[in-house]
Amino acid sequence: MGVDRIETKQTIATGAKPWVDQAEAPFIRISNLTKNFGDFIAVDNVSLDIYRQELFCLLGGSGCGKSTLLRMLAGFETPSSGRIEIDGQDMASIPAYERPTNMMFQSYALFPHMSVEKNVAYGLVRDGVAKAEIAERVAEMLTLVQLDGFAKRKPGQLSGGQRQRVALARSLIKRPKLLLLDEPLGALDKKLREETQFELVNIQESLGVTFIVVTHDQEEAMTLSSRIGVMDRGEIVQVGEPHAIYEYPQSRFVADFIGSVNIFEGRVTEDAENFVRLHSQEGGCDIHVAHGVSCTENQKMWLAVRPEKFSLSKEQPAGKYNFVTGTVDEIAYLGNLSVYRILLASGKNVRATRSNRDRHDAEAAPGWGDTVYLAWDDTAGVVLTQ
Amino acid sequence: MTGAQAAPPLTKTLKFIGAHGRALVIGVPMWWLIVFFLIPFAVVAKISFSEAVIARPPYTSLIEWTGEGAMLLKLNFSNYAYLIEDSLYILAYWSSIKVAFFSTVATLIVAYPMAYYIARAPERRRNVLLMLIILPFWTSFLLRVYAWIGILKGNGIVNNILLSLGITSEPIVMLQTNFAVYVGIVYTYLPFMILPLFTNLVKLDNDLLEASSDLGARPMATFFKITLPLSIPGMIAGSMLVFIPVIGEFVIPALLGGPDTLMIGKVLWSEFFSNRDWPVASAVAIVMLVLLVIPIMLLRNAQAASAEGSS
Amino acid sequence: MKKLLSMTALLALAISPVLAAEKVLHVYNWSDYIAEDTIEKFTAETGIEVTYDVYDSNEVLEAKMLAGSSGYDVVTPSADFMNRQIAAGVYVKLDKSKLPNLKNMDAGLMKQAAVFDPDNAHAVVYMWGTTGIGYNTKAIAERLGDSAPTDSWDLVFDPAIAAKLADCGISFLDAPTELLAAAMNYVGLDPRSTKKADLEKGAELLTAVRPHIRYFHSSQYISDLANGDICVSVGWSGDIFQARDRAGEADKGVEVSYVIPKEGATQWFDMLAIPVDSKNKDAAHAYINFMMDAQITANNTNYVWYANANRASMPMVEEEIKEDPGIFPPLDVQAKLWSAQVYNKRTDRVMTRLWTKIQTGK
Repeated sequence: MGVDRIETKQTIATGAKPWVDQAEAPFIRISNLTKNFGDFIAVDNVSLDIYRQELFCLLGGSGCGKSTLLRMLAGFETPSSGRIEIDGQDMASIPAYERPTNMMFQSYALFPHMSVEKNVAYGLVRDGVAKAEIAERVAEMLTLVQLDGFAKRKPGQLSGGQRQRVALARSLIKRPKLLLLDEPLGALDKKLREETQFELVNIQESLGVTFIVVTHDQEEAMTLSSRIGVMDRGEIVQVGEPHAIYEYPQSRFVADFIGSVNIFEGRVTEDAENFVRLHSQEGGCDIHVAHGVSCTENQKMWLAVRPEKFSLSKEQPAGKYNFVTGTVDEIAYLGNLSVYRILLASGKNVRATRSNRDRHDAEAAPGWGDTVYLAWDDTAGVVLTQ
Repeated sequence: MTGAQAAPPLTKTLKFIGAHGRALVIGVPMWWLIVFFLIPFAVVAKISFSEAVIARPPYTSLIEWTGEGAMLLKLNFSNYAYLIEDSLYILAYWSSIKVAFFSTVATLIVAYPMAYYIARAPERRRNVLLMLIILPFWTSFLLRVYAWIGILKGNGIVNNILLSLGITSEPIVMLQTNFAVYVGIVYTYLPFMILPLFTNLVKLDNDLLEASSDLGARPMATFFKITLPLSIPGMIAGSMLVFIPVIGEFVIPALLGGPDTLMIGKVLWSEFFSNRDWPVASAVAIVMLVLLVIPIMLLRNAQAASAEGSS
Repeated sequence: MKKLLSMTALLALAISPVLAAEKVLHVYNWSDYIAEDTIEKFTAETGIEVTYDVYDSNEVLEAKMLAGSSGYDVVTPSADFMNRQIAAGVYVKLDKSKLPNLKNMDAGLMKQAAVFDPDNAHAVVYMWGTTGIGYNTKAIAERLGDSAPTDSWDLVFDPAIAAKLADCGISFLDAPTELLAAAMNYVGLDPRSTKKADLEKGAELLTAVRPHIRYFHSSQYISDLANGDICVSVGWSGDIFQARDRAGEADKGVEVSYVIPKEGATQWFDMLAIPVDSKNKDAAHAYINFMMDAQITANNTNYVWYANANRASMPMVEEEIKEDPGIFPPLDVQAKLWSAQVYNKRTDRVMTRLWTKIQTGK
């Protein structure tokens, strides 16, 4: 029966973007949520809407408050102020054991004295589900996470990846409205982590459960999520789809946190309706941006350019905007591409990548000590005012 | 002529240590065991096979030399037979085991909430609380048992409070009863139960408790399904530390118990002191040791089994 | 210079125990059995340091003596126990030339003690006393009125009377020989009988009153009687006098009396003897001789309220004690006293077994 349910679920992978649709009501509504531990503000006035069947990633460094936010959703921490609503229901007075959420712990928190089977069944037994149904659902869940035949083992007899899947099965068996995952892949090695990422996405898509994943790993967030909420010092600094977060960061923090980026500080020299121009002392260049920015003359602004947006050449490009020049300081050959570190006259280091499109272009490729030019399109950079 | 003989002395020494280091390391505890357990045990076992006489020491020698210079080993099993003949000894063993069992259970019931509370307390308070548990050990054990006499006796603290509150009109006789013995034992052995329990509970992963709650278990269910089963090794360790010494306990029943508190320690005492029958007293002690080995083995097995499960 | 001084001090510290060891006398005596200043005076007079330990049962002393190498130089066994210990070869024969104060001793009492130690070869009498009844006069009067049989074993051996006293507490000595003897005597048998049937009759009587007995202990009753925690004790005369004293000092309205019941009581002797493995026999003799000094003996008696066997001390013994029939009983009472019996191993075992049965019912 469960299989039917899984098959017929409509999933978000079909391409719908409920957060774009103004008519869609959010499934989880977090409003003005704050949590203090003494003087320390772990979560600072966070408001966030998450929609049904999303796989939402809370991304941030350690101590940014992402785990505290997750724990407030689970009911392990009581908010200092603010409100959490899940499916229209206020969670304030609902203890953890009555919430329609389940959590997968970073440590997996498997009960060491129970077999895999008993661990997975635990939630159903607590709810007083009939024995036959429990057996059926446990078997179905173990199949889903590919652990048939491990039912009688104790957690101590499993590998890390197997434990991770037991933890996932245990947290999913109650068909929670919302599954909270705290660094679900953090304890796995790199190769296993990459495999498991896709498995996790598949399971989420097939079950149609709303996932909130806490992670510090931006690659993981990019791979998994429908949307990412980037957190810094207790605040959500940007929410958006992975592509938007990467291409259109709204602050130097986000730009810097997601992927690698070069940031040039500059001052506005020309402010027109459909373009702006900046002069960057650091870059030793003038910058032309092909869209309007609300700003004033002489205002300090930043331009963020990702390393892969540069075109690297030994010849000076035409035109007077959007290129810097320096000498090659370091080259890292990665196979599919090479990463260059260019030292500018101002002393600033810039990272640029060059894809190894042609096997025989070793001569064309700049070498150590060469003077090179880095150019970019007038739409390739992102103007940041903060 | 050969290489080994030509080796310099230092190398030789190192080789010797290398070959015998293991033996040295194992040797220390082994000698400890031999000197402080096996030899006294052998002496007691030897006495248990001899006969009581009025002499110094008051038992016969097992080995006699016949006129022809032959050695004669005389083993006397009548002391053991005697323990079976008179039901007193079996009753005393049985009642000691009973007292030990119930006091272990009582100690566990009292100790568990205390250990749990200490383990869950913030770290700084935890140290203070642990200190309070250990603190009584700094005063003499006898002094503390005498304090209980003062508390429980006819015109002692408890009775005075009860009388002044009008709860009773006559002092309740508590001292020289089995109740007082249990109070004394639970009080004295409490730290031996609390400390292993605490060590176990403090290691309990809070994630497990949250996971249980997250999966729909109310706090009580979490306690009985997660905390309690996972603290079994601590409970076993604590119970062993209480059960075993309580079986042979002599001082507490002698001071707080009544004359009808029958325990093997008291029987041993009267064999040794009143009857001056060291051989029978030794037989009593040997049988007690054998009886103790059985629960120890059982508990060890249980502990090993539960350790295997959680590894 | 300072360093040198402290070095010398250290050396002195290290050496002094060795020197002292030769001079220290180890005395093992009953608890509360000597005047407070006696030891001090002995050291002042002889220069011999004393290490003084106490015990409260003959059994403990005997176990140490039989095990050997107890380290004690002078011990105080009761005569009946000592008899057996002498047979086991525990004590040395006294060198009477080192005991000039023997002349002070009462020939009659020494002769009685000689029953246990022919010719008083191994020991001299330290104190003697009786095993009688101590009671809280007011508590007894409250419960039994004026007709209370305070001069008779009825007080503790008549189940009907004992039942009335159970709530305020009866204690017996944890000394089977003395209690069984008194019980046998009470039911009309020879208190010194060693017949199993007789002993069983005595045990029967004790079993009948057993439900009313709070505890069996040989020293705790002193303070309990004084505090009013119990109101009747079968105990040793001097101990009960001490309880009387303590009750008087505490002044909480408790009044303790001692009686030698009219049916008779055990008379016992505590002896001073020297273990064969004593390392300091000269000092031990000096101690025993000192204990027979007329003034010292009188001081001890005045303090512990036990009768001594020292005729020369009598003029210095306080009138109150001398006249107390509980301590120095008049002739008609003395006639009814019996001395403790020495039992063989078989009887010992019978008695211990009966005693356990009386106490535990098993």
